[in-house]
Amino acid sequence: MKILSERYVPLVVTVGQVVIFPYYILWLKEASLTFTLFTWLFAAFSFSAALGYRLFQARKKPAISFIPFLYMGMGGIYLLVGNISTSFEVLPYLTLIFQVILGFLQGYHHAWHIMQNTFRLHAINHYLLVGMIMVGLSFVKIISPAIFITVFGTILFICGLVFLFKKNKDSVIFKLGDNEETEVE
Amino acid sequence: METSPRNNKKQSIHKNPWFLGTLVCIFVISVLVNIPVEKRKYGLTQSSLTTDYTSLLPERIDRIVKAGSRTELQKIVKEANENRQQISIAGLQHSQGGHTYYKDSIVLDMKTFNKILKIDKQHKTIKVETGATWEDVQEAIQPYGLALKVTQSQSIFTIGGSLSVNAHGRDITFGPMAGTVREMTILTPTGDIKTVTRNDSEEWMKYVFGGYGLFGVILDVTLELTENDVYTIHTEELKTNEYEAYFSNLLRNDGTSMHYARVSVAPHSFLNEMYVIDYKNTGKKDHQTELKKERGARFGKLALDIGRQGGALEDLFWENQKLLIKSLDGDEITRNNAMRGNSAFMEFTKPGRVEVLQEFFVPVAQFEEYISDLRRFLPSNDKNEDFKIHNITVRYAAKDDYTYLNYAKGDMFGLVILIQHGLKEKEIDHAKAIIQGWTDLTLKHGGGYYLPYYQYQTIEQFRKIYPSWEMFHEEKIKRDPNGVFQNIFYDYYFE
Repeated sequence: MKILSERYVPLVVTVGQVVIFPYYILWLKEASLTFTLFTWLFAAFSFSAALGYRLFQARKKPAISFIPFLYMGMGGIYLLVGNISTSFEVLPYLTLIFQVILGFLQGYHHAWHIMQNTFRLHAINHYLLVGMIMVGLSFVKIISPAIFITVFGTILFICGLVFLFKKNKDSVIFKLGDNEETEVE
Repeated sequence: METSPRNNKKQSIHKNPWFLGTLVCIFVISVLVNIPVEKRKYGLTQSSLTTDYTSLLPERIDRIVKAGSRTELQKIVKEANENRQQISIAGLQHSQGGHTYYKDSIVLDMKTFNKILKIDKQHKTIKVETGATWEDVQEAIQPYGLALKVTQSQSIFTIGGSLSVNAHGRDITFGPMAGTVREMTILTPTGDIKTVTRNDSEEWMKYVFGGYGLFGVILDVTLELTENDVYTIHTEELKTNEYEAYFSNLLRNDGTSMHYARVSVAPHSFLNEMYVIDYKNTGKKDHQTELKKERGARFGKLALDIGRQGGALEDLFWENQKLLIKSLDGDEITRNNAMRGNSAFMEFTKPGRVEVLQEFFVPVAQFEEYISDLRRFLPSNDKNEDFKIHNITVRYAAKDDYTYLNYAKGDMFGLVILIQHGLKEKEIDHAKAIIQGWTDLTLKHGGGYYLPYYQYQTIEQFRKIYPSWEMFHEEKIKRDPNGVFQNIFYDYYFE
């Protein structure tokens, strides 16, 4: 375990995605208005996730350098979703674009995540954390899904920045250590 | 287990990034072009509250009966009459004032009662069940080179619904829609089935047409038809003060069969500019041209949405409308196709807001003075107002002697107004105040308003504009003593 951010940020992201899911669904249902469109938007997400996953696998050398931008991209989309105030006439079109980008980024992230050593450990922690947070949220009076989505978007964006910053810092330490492995923890 | 190279290829194709990329692109494009223009849910439902097109008057109903056979309908009406149960009648539900349902009532959904019964080419008539739409009728008569005499501007509505509101359209030669019905079969409130004509001594047609579903179920009608003539479209831009003279001249000359106009609601030309569209006879008949389908609804809707933003964008929308209309000048069109206006592009979905119609009638000779007064009454720029006007279409409504609760006591112009306002209580009250003021102004000019829409007007205004309401009410009680046919409209104005 070389880098702290590599250990915890993916866990925050995967747990956050599940926790935010019910709120995101509420928003998506409102944006799509009809059940047919709702299911189409899900399908677009899934196909795009498959593409993201496969594109990560198709890379000869998995590039971790993309991951911070991926978090920031996902965070940016959630921030847009949480703050958008556009006509319902345009919203389904925007939502389709959001779903495609989110699907792609999540598929790509998942493909990267399962390659990490921490993935197996994350799986257990992930389920436990999701369970606990959900129980916690059951006591929170929902004001608006948009607030939670915005908060999660901000967290993701910060995770991206932390990941980027820490990785750069660690790579400097790594160079200074004359190619010796440097424990950051 | 060994796997053949062919199987390997089969297994791997779905993992090919190019395949997945193509799949995403195709799917996204398919979704983009299929995102429905109409996203709202409205209408009949037993699981939650029933509404009509505007969803303004939600109400729980007892049950929905999809109209099947005459005997089945007769049984339901007889039972309701005996058990003092109430029945409402619904078609496409584009009337906007709760005319098609009532609290705890049985709602007859007539859309399934839609057979074409007989086409008489020689006498130019069609006998049709009233759940059929005007489009159904057009599809049936078009191969015979026939067309409707009077219909609504759009063909999506049911015949029973249009007759129940005595609708009118773009035709300026054949008078009111009710006058084009030669024969009618009605299921009366006591459960009798009667076939009547215009000469019927009991005058059923006078009460049923424009009777808003209160006198019985219209089972079928025999409609008079005409030739499917070919017209040349003539368009022209006018000032609103030139319109009266223009239209009088149009009526004097026999050459025009259909006509409508649109008045500007854009800030810079508000109630000052207008354009007219005339359908002039060419003397040619058509047996072959196919019925046009609605195309470009998404584009039309986008343009209207731009206009809905108000201010400079509404000016831009108006200028583009004029260009579009000008481009139609000189085109040829069949009568059937001229009677099939687009409708999907008008869909509006925005939580917390609603778009409604109102129609005011004003005597032809009063148009100029009326518009002049209206210009002073309404703000020219409603961009920052809650009450917004998006469109005013003008149509001619000839004097109507065929119905009892008639809106055209003389030759009138009908101004169909597309209005948007908020749904909060104070926003609805504000809209009511404006529309009541507008109604008073119309009354001052000897005009009135149309009843198939939401009840913004007061009961006093209704009684002034429809002085025959009392006789209509008495007749309703006489013919339907147990109040079988009931709806929210009747409840508001008569009970």
